[in-house]
Amino acid sequence: MPDPTLTEEPLQFGEGGRLFGILTLPSASPGTARELPVFVFLSAGALHRVGPARLHVRLARELARMGFSSLRVDLAGTGDSPPRPGLTNQESVAADGKEIVGVLDSRLGELPLVLAGLCSGADNAIRLTPGQPRVIGMVLLDPICFPDDGFEARAAVQKYMNPVRYIAWLQRRFKASEMPREEKEGNDDSADYLAIRDLPTREQLRAAFVSLRQRGGRALSVFTQYALPYYNQSGQLDRILGVDGYRQSCTELFWPRAEHTYPLELHRLRLIEEITTWARGYIGP
Amino acid sequence: MIEPFFFGPGDEQLFATYHPPATGHARLLTVICPPLFSEYMRTQLVLRELAITLADRGQHVLRFDYRGTGDSFGDLAEVAISDWLEDILLAIREGRDLSGSTMVQLVGVRAGALLACKAAGASDDVQRVVLWDPVPDGAQYLQILRRVQVAILKRNRYLSRVERRQVMREQDGHCLPARMAEEFRSLDERAYAGVSTHKLHVVSTSPAAGFSVQGVSLDEAQFACNWETPTEDQVLPQPVLERLTACLTLP
Repeated sequence: MPDPTLTEEPLQFGEGGRLFGILTLPSASPGTARELPVFVFLSAGALHRVGPARLHVRLARELARMGFSSLRVDLAGTGDSPPRPGLTNQESVAADGKEIVGVLDSRLGELPLVLAGLCSGADNAIRLTPGQPRVIGMVLLDPICFPDDGFEARAAVQKYMNPVRYIAWLQRRFKASEMPREEKEGNDDSADYLAIRDLPTREQLRAAFVSLRQRGGRALSVFTQYALPYYNQSGQLDRILGVDGYRQSCTELFWPRAEHTYPLELHRLRLIEEITTWARGYIGP
Repeated sequence: MIEPFFFGPGDEQLFATYHPPATGHARLLTVICPPLFSEYMRTQLVLRELAITLADRGQHVLRFDYRGTGDSFGDLAEVAISDWLEDILLAIREGRDLSGSTMVQLVGVRAGALLACKAAGASDDVQRVVLWDPVPDGAQYLQILRRVQVAILKRNRYLSRVERRQVMREQDGHCLPARMAEEFRSLDERAYAGVSTHKLHVVSTSPAAGFSVQGVSLDEAQFACNWETPTEDQVLPQPVLERLTACLTLP
């Protein structure tokens, strides 16, 4: 295999070999007796296990160089994993979760797990955590959150006090005045991910963090500009959850300059560094 | 049932997925040369569907990722176009060894079309080359990547001056090494002209774009792929899938 510090193995597992994933294993763990958690990268939306711009692949390999095993998986209905007929999304994800734990048990033994996901991947990590006692960590990229008391006031200030917004408005007006009508009408190519996500409820979100806290777990949540319709200040998730000890075990970052799927390499590098630094917390001194 | 595996030289293995034929005694192997960067992500599902369809129709099919992309090993910063051309030849060889096929056809999508034709289109081992929305040439492809990058930057109004200088060096959100950019510029339409016209089929979603080689079978598929939109949303172009399948299952 190419990199002496890691090996990779494609897996087809679960009922009928339905689920597809790639297991990344470090060639050597750091010289401690501690068992490091296994990172599980859940596919996001319709994207496959590779992740946006290969994010999951790069994270898996960086983490392996630090001594962490990982599995990047196509949940049923994404990538190379066919859908489960007759099940709702939540039922399908729950079934996937059991099979993921099963294959990791058989390959690596009963190690603790960190669930990582972007967008619907984060939603699924939140849903799976309470029912999977071995999950001791979550890495959530643009998870759901709910407005707190100051949300609307902050949103108004951000909206009306931002000069870039007015410049952009003027530019759009200028451009629109020169644009043919058909092009004006069909100009928005972006998908509204929020509208199509099967979002966890507030209770499900809280249950995930409460479970984690009870297990002595940790979480890293990163919010980008995508979250602005419902999140606009670092610490907001802490406030709406109201979970004791949140600040001791959870890191919450707000990156309003970054986009949802990190299309710029600049932002991806920053994210990879943030996640690997956070992961180092499991290795200790 | 698909068969995923890593193959190739020990220091930079490639990832591939083999789709065995649904029926026995298949002699034809189809190797799918995917597009690059965001277009790779956008077409993952439809190319998987194409592979399944062709396998159902009795073909051996191999999908693979170029080094430094997808699940293959390698760092994009250290990859050259010549590496990707080599990867295509490796994939063909691996597919033939796996399947025992005596006949090979290639599917090339966008920049994958240019690479497929350059690498193997002229080879006697390849009986047919089907292209989906081939990029005109390497230099124009770099311009397309540049335009996509500018579109991404328009959405990112809050970058600092230092950050903006950094991202101006990216192309479609990726840092292409200087050598790769040079090699793209030298990849011109002669890559297509090097393939016999009787072997070449083009499926196009924008017929106005034309194709540089005259006398080539050109099929139009009614679907707006919007390749220059800065997104990784999946395209699910049923008309394209139908036209590609038709071209790839011609007797």
